[in-house]
Amino acid sequence: MYKSLVYIFSFLALGEIIKYVFNIPIAGNIIAMILIFTCLKLKIIKLSTVKPAADALIKYMVLFFIPYGVGMMVYFDVLKENWIPIIFASLISTIITLYLTAIIQQKLEKK
Amino acid sequence: MIHFYDLPVFGFFITILAFYIAQRLKKRFNYVFLNPVLVSMVAIITFLECVSVDFDTYNNGAKYLSFFLSPTIVALGVLFYEKFEQIKSNLKPFITAVAVGGTISIITVIVLSILLHAPEIITRSLAAKSVTTPIAIEITKITKGIPSITAVVVIAVGIFGNAFGVELLRFLKIKSSNAIGTALGTAAHGIGTARAIELDPLAGAYSGLAMCINGLITAVVTPYLVQLILQFA
Repeated sequence: MYKSLVYIFSFLALGEIIKYVFNIPIAGNIIAMILIFTCLKLKIIKLSTVKPAADALIKYMVLFFIPYGVGMMVYFDVLKENWIPIIFASLISTIITLYLTAIIQQKLEKK
Repeated sequence: MIHFYDLPVFGFFITILAFYIAQRLKKRFNYVFLNPVLVSMVAIITFLECVSVDFDTYNNGAKYLSFFLSPTIVALGVLFYEKFEQIKSNLKPFITAVAVGGTISIITVIVLSILLHAPEIITRSLAAKSVTTPIAIEITKITKGIPSITAVVVIAVGIFGNAFGVELLRFLKIKSSNAIGTALGTAAHGIGTARAIELDPLAGAYSGLAMCINGLITAVVTPYLVQLILQFA
């Protein structure tokens, strides 16, 4: 468990360093996510080395973003003023995405 | 005098308490609008408003929970790898569908919000609306939107996909359940995937992997797409 936690945080630190050094406009943790994925794929690290901590973190994931949701209370005015574009842009875009993805997958999988 | 609210334990405790109760409610009534995250958010906001405690005071404790979002995103990379290994069949058509759908999702929401006269900060907050909440929050920090608005919109989009996605796609003459699963994972992340798993296990696997691939793609391309489109707007 501790070993896997050390690995997860090592990748996180590495991602942050890469972001800092190369000044990439992508979050350090996302760079770390792509790195750990690539290292697993290229068999540089083993799944069993990182799995225990990864599973534990994902198990409690939803708890970690509740504070961000609560943070919405600071922006009630912004939401009240812009609810029409927020709802309609999200809704229409979601419907287009659902349909487009489904139709491409359905057409291509038949071939 | 120091109030109890000012102690870090306050925000931490009420978050865990609210989530525990919300999960019990969901287990008991199993109704999609009783999404535990949404219910706990509403409960905590209502409570804070009632006792007149502001967000910063709450966040004194709650920030210790949100800190773990960062390592969790690294953990998602591990989960994505596991999902990738599960589906052995030809992935090319599938990846094409997810990549096109995911990219169009970003472009359409940016363009639509501009056409609907949303202020730039809203457009920046909506761009990542189709991917799993932690990734969407991180993307919004980079695109300089408001992560809290993103979190709420992402969860709402997930619930919409979960509640209406399957019926909508069938109405639009989509017959393949793998295609429905792929679409749900791409457009409505984990909450949509929960519905695909109910549909059938293979559709669920497609949906989970679609969520992962779209998470990776969206994380990389969104900052550039936002910049590009806003330049012309």
